[in-house]
Amino acid sequence: MRTYELMTIHRPALEESDVRDRVTDVEKYLENAGGKVTSTDIWGKRRFAYEIDHLSEGYYTVVTFEAETEAVDGLDRMLSLSDEVLRHKVVRPGA
Amino acid sequence: MARMQQSTSKKRRRRPEQARGKMKKRVCHFCSERVDYIDYKDVAILRKYMSDRAKIRARRVTGNCPRHQREVAVAIKSAREMALLPYLGTGR
Repeated sequence: MRTYELMTIHRPALEESDVRDRVTDVEKYLENAGGKVTSTDIWGKRRFAYEIDHLSEGYYTVVTFEAETEAVDGLDRMLSLSDEVLRHKVVRPGA
Repeated sequence: MARMQQSTSKKRRRRPEQARGKMKKRVCHFCSERVDYIDYKDVAILRKYMSDRAKIRARRVTGNCPRHQREVAVAIKSAREMALLPYLGTGR
């Protein structure tokens, strides 16, 4: 088990409650895969430093969790395929 | 032609001895603060290591140690990927 930190950017057209649901989906996925969510932080709407797909803002969320490497691979695929997620990034803080 | 040569040599001229001697040796901020992880989400800190054109400041300007300069650079690049920091600044 390793500690990871996930940041996602959701489309600004979504409702804040939808974003919350999406994040709980991620948490559920991680817990099903034997991981443990330590903290979730929904930053809310934030302006981009530059345009992404002609959009100028998006919903930022940060989830820190512990999980196995395979679970992270699956998470990565899931988020890449999602149309609602503009960008995502998984880092291992302090490593 | 001769004039051009003169102007380039003028540009290359070193700073007077006195001024160089006065230059303060900067200590790496992250070493003195004992920071062990430079977070890419902390935009306010990373901005200090960028020019107004959004370029990463050189080590000789920031005074960071090799390790922390590298970590700052990586953090800035990560922040850029997530659109927290710009690739190009508007400055000037």
